[in-house]
Amino acid sequence: MTKEKEFKPKILVFCCNWCSYAAADLAGVSRLQMPPDFRVVRVMCSARVRPEYVIKAIARGVDGVMILGCHIGDCHYISGNHRTKKRFAVITKLLEHIGVNPKRVLVDWVSAAEGHRYQELVTNFVKTIKELGPNELGGLSS
Amino acid sequence: MNSLEAETRRVVSKLLEEKRVDGVIAPRRHQGCTGPHLFQRVEEVEKLVLTPKYPVANLCLLIQTKHPEAKLGVVVRGCDERAIRELGKLGQIDVEKLVLIGLACTEEEAVRCGCSQPYPSRVDIGVKVEGEKPDTKVAPIKEKNLLERLKFWSENFSKCIKCYGCREACPMCVCEECMLEKWFWVKGGEIPPEIPTFHLIRAYHMADKCTGCGECEAACPVGIPLTSLYLLILEDVKKLFGYEPGRDERISPLLTTLEEAPISE
Amino acid sequence: MNPGCNIDYNTVLTTCPYCGCGCGLQLHVLDGRVVGVTPPKEHPISRGSLCIKGWNAHVFIHSKDRLTKPLIRKGDKFVATSWGKALNLVVDNLKKIRDENGPDAVGVLASARCTNEENYLLSKFARVVLGTNNIDHCARLCHASTVVALGEVFGSGAMTNSPTEFEKSDCILVTGSNTLEQHPLIGATILKARDKGAKIIVVDPRKIMLARFADIYLQPKPGTDVAWINGFMNIILSENLHDKEFIEKRTEGFEELRETIKKYTPERVEKITGIPKNKLVEAAKMFGVAERAAIVYSMGITQHVTGVDNVRSIANLAMLTGNVGREGTGVNPLRGQNNVQGACDMGALPNVYTGYQKITDEKIVEKFEEAWQTKLPRNAGLTVVEMTEAAVEGRLKALYVVGENPMLSDPDINRVRKGLEKLDFLVVQDIFMSETAELADVVLPGASYAEKDGTFTATDRCVQRVRKAIEPIGDAKADWEIICAIAKGMGSHGFEYSSPKEVFEEIARLTPSYAGITYERLDKELRIPWPCPTRDHPGTPILHVERFTRGKGRFTPAEYREPAELPDDEYPFLLTTGRTLFHYHTGTMTRRTPKLVSEVETGYVELNGEDAKILGVKNNDLVVVTSRRGSIQVPVWVTDRVPRGVVFIPFHFAECAANVLTHAKLDPEAKIPEYKVCAVKIEKKNG
Repeated sequence: MTKEKEFKPKILVFCCNWCSYAAADLAGVSRLQMPPDFRVVRVMCSARVRPEYVIKAIARGVDGVMILGCHIGDCHYISGNHRTKKRFAVITKLLEHIGVNPKRVLVDWVSAAEGHRYQELVTNFVKTIKELGPNELGGLSS
Repeated sequence: MNSLEAETRRVVSKLLEEKRVDGVIAPRRHQGCTGPHLFQRVEEVEKLVLTPKYPVANLCLLIQTKHPEAKLGVVVRGCDERAIRELGKLGQIDVEKLVLIGLACTEEEAVRCGCSQPYPSRVDIGVKVEGEKPDTKVAPIKEKNLLERLKFWSENFSKCIKCYGCREACPMCVCEECMLEKWFWVKGGEIPPEIPTFHLIRAYHMADKCTGCGECEAACPVGIPLTSLYLLILEDVKKLFGYEPGRDERISPLLTTLEEAPISE
Repeated sequence: MNPGCNIDYNTVLTTCPYCGCGCGLQLHVLDGRVVGVTPPKEHPISRGSLCIKGWNAHVFIHSKDRLTKPLIRKGDKFVATSWGKALNLVVDNLKKIRDENGPDAVGVLASARCTNEENYLLSKFARVVLGTNNIDHCARLCHASTVVALGEVFGSGAMTNSPTEFEKSDCILVTGSNTLEQHPLIGATILKARDKGAKIIVVDPRKIMLARFADIYLQPKPGTDVAWINGFMNIILSENLHDKEFIEKRTEGFEELRETIKKYTPERVEKITGIPKNKLVEAAKMFGVAERAAIVYSMGITQHVTGVDNVRSIANLAMLTGNVGREGTGVNPLRGQNNVQGACDMGALPNVYTGYQKITDEKIVEKFEEAWQTKLPRNAGLTVVEMTEAAVEGRLKALYVVGENPMLSDPDINRVRKGLEKLDFLVVQDIFMSETAELADVVLPGASYAEKDGTFTATDRCVQRVRKAIEPIGDAKADWEIICAIAKGMGSHGFEYSSPKEVFEEIARLTPSYAGITYERLDKELRIPWPCPTRDHPGTPILHVERFTRGKGRFTPAEYREPAELPDDEYPFLLTTGRTLFHYHTGTMTRRTPKLVSEVETGYVELNGEDAKILGVKNNDLVVVTSRRGSIQVPVWVTDRVPRGVVFIPFHFAECAANVLTHAKLDPEAKIPEYKVCAVKIEKKNG
């Protein structure tokens, strides 16, 4: 088992400009320790993340995708995060139906002041993905 | 002669004779094959048939686009009525201008489609039969574990020759700009189209629109069990939002409207 | 009619104008325009499905590029004119050239896209009005090998079974056919057969989509088919899997075959083809043990200088294993175009009349002289590529081209251009301004499949109706009307028809295999497979059931011979050409269909990943591909569909035309060019 190279997961974290990206910043400034295996993509609102982006990411072999928005009721654009929540409730179910572990896509809420919460969420997600192993689909798309 | 067909012909002829409609949409047997048709003259009605079934909403849409004032009769099964209602909600069909003739599906037809509601809201022709439990068609797939599912769907999607038949046959697919044709989601000219992107995008777009008519699967030349995939996600949409396309007065919860109920975390 | 708003709507059942599958299409006509299609669910081929081209088969009809007026060349430009003026010009010129230079100075290219009635009329036109047998069409370029080889070995040059039977097969051997892409609904049938348990063997130099579903996939070097097929037979014989009873009762020439086959041991075959011998043995055994095995093939087998030998070997293999004349078996050449089978059936060929009745048979000639009321020429005419040569050499001075585009579809198109430009008179009848029409002296606007009545014959010999849905666009006329008008203008009789139905009735009177088919029957029965000799004969779905058309099947052994032009130091890559799913032939129809163009906009060259690395090119880079005939610039598609050293270019795109590169060396018997093998060099385009 230990002959295998350590699995370095490819993880995307979509952060909304007003809340979660600020939290990410705060976590960085506060020197909170986090695993290196993820890339942050800043969007103005979590609702900017079309389900198609996530589908494509999974299809291309990305091992995990997080979408982090503002807490419900706090969205800078009022109801953006409502849409995110509804959309990805459906997407995770769809992925499960076709055989992709739904834990690979996670939607959660972080406010700008919650640097620690950001650290916790991301660290846990990376751990989960490491346990799940590489995206099974990655080998299939040519 | 099939008594349901005889009855339908009677009803349609009457509608035409009484000039209550400009035409009636129903399948016609003509020149050796069947297909959806707009019956405008009583003499034509003897060619009206009920099987094989074709989606009639597409033809309604086509004719209403060019002739918005026309009053059209439509012979609708359960799935047809749901499609028409859903399209009405989306502003694609003017339901007020339609006279619906409700046709209940027979037992065999219900079983063949695995349909849970093989009858329209008002049945004018035929006898209502109880539908299949929604689970019957999809049970074998649900029993598979994650890895088995992945294998099953990947193998099926790998047969896809990108005919877009699922989209062309679907009564709900009316978008002028289709995401499946956008090069940044699905590269053009590649078959099979990227797995599972093409079909997952379609399934997601169908999650709040599919009325379970099964025409997508019927049109698929390579036999991908599309209806099963859509039925699976429809079940989840029902559990999550209490929403069933075609059977609900509300607009889909996945669409954004100005009146949105607040939700909790 | 009902008062209120009168809706101008109708549906018309017709046949798809694209490939030889022959799918049924219901056209929706609203306010005088064809606005959509629905595939009928009970049609035996399409069964409620279509490929992407079929679903969009109505779009090009109303393209703004449609030719709507007759055109006459004035210098560099074309000027629109009246039918009267255009036809007079055509009549005068054809007459003059025929009278001054003899009838054989004129040629006719018929159309595998036009209806049976129109091809029959073109054949009659060439022979009666012009007095020549110089009539041919693009079947020469695709299945001429099949017509010759199967005509010889079985007595009939057509597909022996039907795709509707494949679901009953136990094993299907697919070779030289990218079925899922080029005959999608037939490819779909093969997949369904596989779901039912049939074993699929795919033999193709390229790793085509169907190869992924094969139980065994063999990848021979292009042009080595006789070798591996003989290898199959060698293994089947040594494993004792041949059908002794069938060979004894139904065939002749077995001993001669056995002698030849002995030499094609798995070792020798591996040397020639590159197929590992244990895989060859496995595949041959899989084929040999099957109870019902069908062979499906297409251009990969026919488009070679050894095309006839390739088909003969396929036929030998089928007979050796007793796989002819039963459901789910047979030799199944997939004809490309919607009506290429029909155009051949109608005698648009230089050596036969309708139903392959030979012009060398005195009794047949007399029959036609009687029917057509004229003396007929007895010498065989020129084939397509020979017509190009004759034009270059000045022997052919005029050409009447209907619904064909040799400037893109013939091999070595620089030479084709030379020939066409040298002609004294070129008249092209088409629905769009094709590359060939650009060179014409007169361009006549014809009608699409939705604007005329007639019949097409699909690849499985089934005759189907084509029905008129709308009037011809603009001033365009149905092609059969134009042909008759020219004939009458030239003073000939026998072209007074009031409808295509009358033409079909004449065809039936003269053609035993079509004799029992009528429009009324087609209205009811949808598809009738010929031979159908009488009105109450149901048609013949399977050929050679009790006996072969010639009596006994004749084993005709073939020896492996190399392709005409193989790679060498100067031109190190092997180019093979073909099609893509999303476009059709010279693209006149598909490149005017937005949904198809958005899938594949222009040509490409399939290049193996390793070769791409060595050349230093990535996906979408432009490369210059050069052969001894010419050079094109084309974007790269890096893929492992092609093995190292082999490249593939589809021929649909005029701006990077594969046929600039191909050569016109022909199979000596079928006169079909070797599109599948020639030598090229590839360089990255700088700047």
